[in-house]
Amino acid sequence: MKSLPRKIKGTILLFVLGSVLLSGCAFKDIDKSVFVAMIALDVSDDEEKPYKVTLKLYEPTGSFNEATEPQYSYLSENGETLSEAIRMMESYSDKELEFGHSKLIILGEELVKDNKNKEILDFLLRRPDIQMISWIAVGRPNAEEIIKMIPQGESAAYPELFNYFDSNGTTTPYIVTTHLFEFRRNMKESGIDSVLPIIEINHEDQHFEVNKSLLLAINKEPLELNSLDTSIYNMLSRSVKHANLLIKEDGDHFIANIDTVKSKFNVNIKNPSEIQLAINISLYGSIAESHKPMISKDLPQYNEELKKESEEKFKGFITEMKKHGYDPLGFGIDYKAKVLHNRRMTDEEWMEAYKKAKVNLTVKPGIKSTGSIQ
Amino acid sequence: MSRFYYYLILINMVANIIASVPAILLHFHNDGAVISMLLSIAAGVLLVTIYTKFFLKYPGKTLPELLEKTTSKWFYQPFVFLLAVLWFVAGLITLITFTFLLIRYLSPEMPIILICLTLILAVIFGCILKTDRVMYTVEMIMIITSPLILFIFFKAYSSKSLNWDFVREAALYINQVPNWHSFSACFFLFLGAANLFIFNRFFTDKQKFGFRQIMFIVLISIGTLFTTYFIPIGFNGFEGINDLVYPWISTTDSIRMEYFIIERVLFMFLLFYLGIAFLSILIHWHAAMEFLKFTFKLEKIKYKDKNIGIFIPLPIFVAISLYFVTVLTEYQLFRYSSYFYDVLVFIFPGMILLFTYINRRMKNEESSPEN
Repeated sequence: MKSLPRKIKGTILLFVLGSVLLSGCAFKDIDKSVFVAMIALDVSDDEEKPYKVTLKLYEPTGSFNEATEPQYSYLSENGETLSEAIRMMESYSDKELEFGHSKLIILGEELVKDNKNKEILDFLLRRPDIQMISWIAVGRPNAEEIIKMIPQGESAAYPELFNYFDSNGTTTPYIVTTHLFEFRRNMKESGIDSVLPIIEINHEDQHFEVNKSLLLAINKEPLELNSLDTSIYNMLSRSVKHANLLIKEDGDHFIANIDTVKSKFNVNIKNPSEIQLAINISLYGSIAESHKPMISKDLPQYNEELKKESEEKFKGFITEMKKHGYDPLGFGIDYKAKVLHNRRMTDEEWMEAYKKAKVNLTVKPGIKSTGSIQ
Repeated sequence: MSRFYYYLILINMVANIIASVPAILLHFHNDGAVISMLLSIAAGVLLVTIYTKFFLKYPGKTLPELLEKTTSKWFYQPFVFLLAVLWFVAGLITLITFTFLLIRYLSPEMPIILICLTLILAVIFGCILKTDRVMYTVEMIMIITSPLILFIFFKAYSSKSLNWDFVREAALYINQVPNWHSFSACFFLFLGAANLFIFNRFFTDKQKFGFRQIMFIVLISIGTLFTTYFIPIGFNGFEGINDLVYPWISTTDSIRMEYFIIERVLFMFLLFYLGIAFLSILIHWHAAMEFLKFTFKLEKIKYKDKNIGIFIPLPIFVAISLYFVTVLTEYQLFRYSSYFYDVLVFIFPGMILLFTYINRRMKNEESSPEN
């Protein structure tokens, strides 16, 4: 140290002293906080405290080898408001509740049908620690049961339920993935409606079933989409990459395995009062299963059948939505994106026009192969 | 132009993406924000061009030096002091906004004074550095942070959740009367060029500033403003955008990086933006410091032959920042910064008059010795 000039020595001393000040960590130590895996919001039986919040907490374990089975603990509390329930729960736990790692928010079916979306969204978004990229889903019969179930074969520290919505695990067309920010956006906006997946429990086998969804619109009853409608919605809204379609036409009976879905939809404005919904979909894939031999030469015919069948299905879906005045795909937004703001129709006028709109739907079929056998 | 010149322009633009500018802009989302943005680009680029051309004529000279030569003492002393206040406030706004952000999102349990103090400690020693050192710091941090910030912007633009219909819907609000507050907030983005008042000291070589350089600035500014305004709308919708206190934070929280180290982009964005905010405060306060040095001749204040003068403003800076960070609410911060931007719209174009005056006097000065 002798060789160092005084100035440098001074600086080093300053750094050492400074680091003493810095060592105080503002974050809570990791063993003093407990991480919330999922949040479940339900309606309670208590009249005065209508909200029921249940939290699934990761139970800390020493190592993964010790934990052969996933371990969670649960906290549950009724409250007059959501944050009151959370505040009470904080007093049940010896550790700090950490919401920042919660990836899934489940709303009980009843709560959604009670039209409490505004309160729920307000609570979820106002807290800065709740991720806006967490998934949001509807739990049936209620959210609490869903988060309390641990399916067989679940690995420790990563709840199986996440895999349904993460596009890394299953990629079936029956699962809608909605993020919290999307839910908020679509609920606020007129001209696009929100679709939330429904999670059910299969009681005999103890596993989840996620293949239906709930369509939520402002000032309207939620509408349940069955599995087929859910997959059609998914194909139209460009959020799936593959799907299966059952084709029953002209005595043929086969399943088309679609591996590429391309869809485009927009509003064509013919004149101020008349609009058309134009939808173009391309389906590419091969044949997965058939009741009788398929001849490669006849592929054009099979394509024709696919076109006919799928156009019918897609059109049916759109017409159904139109009839009831739901707009899950966001034609309303597309209309707004085309007309100057002061020339737009009002929301009511738009709804009328939308209900009367003509649907121009074309499917471009592209079955390329009959699979490994003819 | 030297690349350091673009850093000055760029940091002022980029740093304000996260601060109050988008909040002010998006507040007027259906009240003339789009047209104000376009107008401010035209006005801003004009201002940048005039400022740059003026300072190119006097390579290596700062504005206080020029003023000293051409104007009398009663004018330039209060004037430079006013400049110091403006620059200090500009840095203060960034500092307070960032302190609020950090306490809201990163460490809610930390006392706000401590957060503010940590930021100040990082900045304050930069203020008394030499100008060229400041520039080198700027370059270093830019090189470290900009690739990741650009990557986050790229992720935002390429995200499936970005609904371009909302963007188009918002853009169609173009046929409105421009809004004064949004204009001034956008105009502030262009005032990075005003840092040349001090930083011109660094540009001693003869530089070229022609059509290509101007076009480059136009492109940068269009890109920045578009990103600032339309990307939050694309992610969070048009009607509810006004509810978000920090639109850009909510937007980055809506981006998901499945295969990255951290899935939640928000934290990364905050940390890297901290770097940019640090630079912005550093540049502003360094300039403020230089202005103060000039007005009060701080370098001449000595104690036992040690130059202590330049340390005098530092405690004042710290005290003022700590006071405001504890006193202000978010709403007040946005309101007052909006007023501050409004005032700047008058002051900075007004300085062009001063420039023409200086130009004339300087010509006399140059020609007089020959006569």
